Amino acid sequence: MIVVTGASRGLGNAICHRLAAKGERIVGLARSIEGLAFDAVACDVGEFASVKSAARQVKGFGEEVTALINAAGIASMNLAVMTDAATVERLIQTNLMGTIYCCQQFAPLMMRKKNGAIINFSTVAVALALKGESVYAASKAGVEAFSRSFAREMADFNVRVNCIAPGPIRTDLLRGISDAQIEKITAQQVIPKAFQAGDVCDLVELLLDARADSLSGQILHVGGV
Amino acid sequence: MNRDEALKIVRELVESALNGKVNATDEMPLIGGASALDSMKLVEVCLALEDIADERGFEFDWTSEAAMSKSRSMFRTVATLAEEFAQQSQVSA
Repeated sequence: MIVVTGASRGLGNAICHRLAAKGERIVGLARSIEGLAFDAVACDVGEFASVKSAARQVKGFGEEVTALINAAGIASMNLAVMTDAATVERLIQTNLMGTIYCCQQFAPLMMRKKNGAIINFSTVAVALALKGESVYAASKAGVEAFSRSFAREMADFNVRVNCIAPGPIRTDLLRGISDAQIEKITAQQVIPKAFQAGDVCDLVELLLDARADSLSGQILHVGGV
Repeated sequence: MNRDEALKIVRELVESALNGKVNATDEMPLIGGASALDSMKLVEVCLALEDIADERGFEFDWTSEAAMSKSRSMFRTVATLAEEFAQQSQVSA
């Protein structure tokens, strides 16, 4: 069973559909789970108690959890000095704390079996130090640092931890961002093209594959930086 | 589950984690510099306790604030971990 956070929208939803189509058993986590085409548990990743409750419910399914994909995330593109305190807190709480909470609560389900893979999500905004994304990038830089250290903690339990850092992918997360802005960012990538959700799904599949057993503690930049 | 039964379980798990090379006493510290267990071994003990709790129909929560707090952590000694394990079995019963 693969647990995917942020399952109702954007990349998380695309990942759920891709893996379900491959025959994987998916349990999606999202604040709103109505109408999802796969098993789902209501969860606000920014709330520790909610994550703990979701982990308890997933454990109750009695099936082996083989992977956790932390795709839940929010964005707010603005200058730091123009970002209100509530938005700063929400970004850190959902993106960073949410990832940490989910890793804390779901990793033991894989550690017990000495088998598993965790995929966290960062952004190209960290490596490129993008203007207007400082708070968002800070939350994701925390995810990268956490993932690298957490990978070492998990290594003894044969649980791999990696991080995918996409560039701008056209999802709900980027509504309000113009094509010109996206082109400006993608132009800075090694492969200067706009990648799609499907490309990220490909990378997820790659990281979940047994042939990726040698990969842990890595930050994979979609398009390269 | 009473305290003595919990103590027996925790002692056995700790000794097993240490490959049977050390006898676990009640006052053996489980965290800090004096602990014979490294943090990964301690996690293994917790996972095993969680499994035993599942078998016996209760939930063992080792990630609570009480577990993590340094001053009143359940991991101070073999005895404190056993006390917490026994207590959680009684709360859930």
